[in-house]
Amino acid sequence: MIDNSIIFYSASFMIIAFALAALFARNVIYSLLASVCVFFLGALFFYILGSEYNAIIQAAIYGLAVPIILGVSIMFRGNFGKHARDKQDVRKKSVVSYILLLSMAIFVLAFIYIVMISLLVKPDTFNFTGLEQISAYDNILAFAKGIFVNYVWAFELVSLLLTIVIAGISMLRKRGA
Amino acid sequence: MAVSVYSYLFIGLALFLIGLAGSIIVKNVIKVLISIEFMLLGVNINFVTFAVFADNINLDGCILTLFYTGLGAVELAVALYIFYLMFRKKESDDIERYTEL
Repeated sequence: MIDNSIIFYSASFMIIAFALAALFARNVIYSLLASVCVFFLGALFFYILGSEYNAIIQAAIYGLAVPIILGVSIMFRGNFGKHARDKQDVRKKSVVSYILLLSMAIFVLAFIYIVMISLLVKPDTFNFTGLEQISAYDNILAFAKGIFVNYVWAFELVSLLLTIVIAGISMLRKRGA
Repeated sequence: MAVSVYSYLFIGLALFLIGLAGSIIVKNVIKVLISIEFMLLGVNINFVTFAVFADNINLDGCILTLFYTGLGAVELAVALYIFYLMFRKKESDDIERYTEL
């Protein structure tokens, strides 16, 4: 577990800002991009909490796979970016969006700089806390025991559900509903 | 300054509330689905927080998070497919127009 308040509060501010941006962005593409940032920052939260496995799963599924599904669905709509094109003052909006993008990039660079500086200057802030310190092997052991022993029926049920979903969607496609 | 458990719980709560507000306020179907995923992310952060701070031997919360992540992705895929089928008839992504399945 990484107990660094600079990383935590910066990531907290960014995740809330991107979540609000995802909801209130006019263009749904911008909303999708902001939601990708939120999902990756969620993975960062899992990482700083010490659950690297969950962070990888979160980044792989929500950071990569889910945005692709959402992007394909936006493409199916066929009118993405319509709100932006319909406006007459496109140039003014583009200037504002460039300024916003620039300030966001500066903020992200500053965040990365602060994180790197905090890692370099104060390595002691990375202290490990918790009830009991366990090694990486014990961590994997706990995951394996949880999935294959304690929650084996839930695991099988989820697998069955995934199979049903795949079969159901392929059946719906064949039916041409 | 150490980050307390309440800070992580507050972030989870904030994400949940943003997702809840978005799923009620926003009219776009895709944004509503994104809001539901935000709610799920907030719940998952709370699960992992409790697993790390209260039970770091069994890590039950992390395992439940794995299940919820998989189920959330499946739910999103199914919901988007239903949206696609309905969009072909309604030709609109305004959620007010989707009053029947």
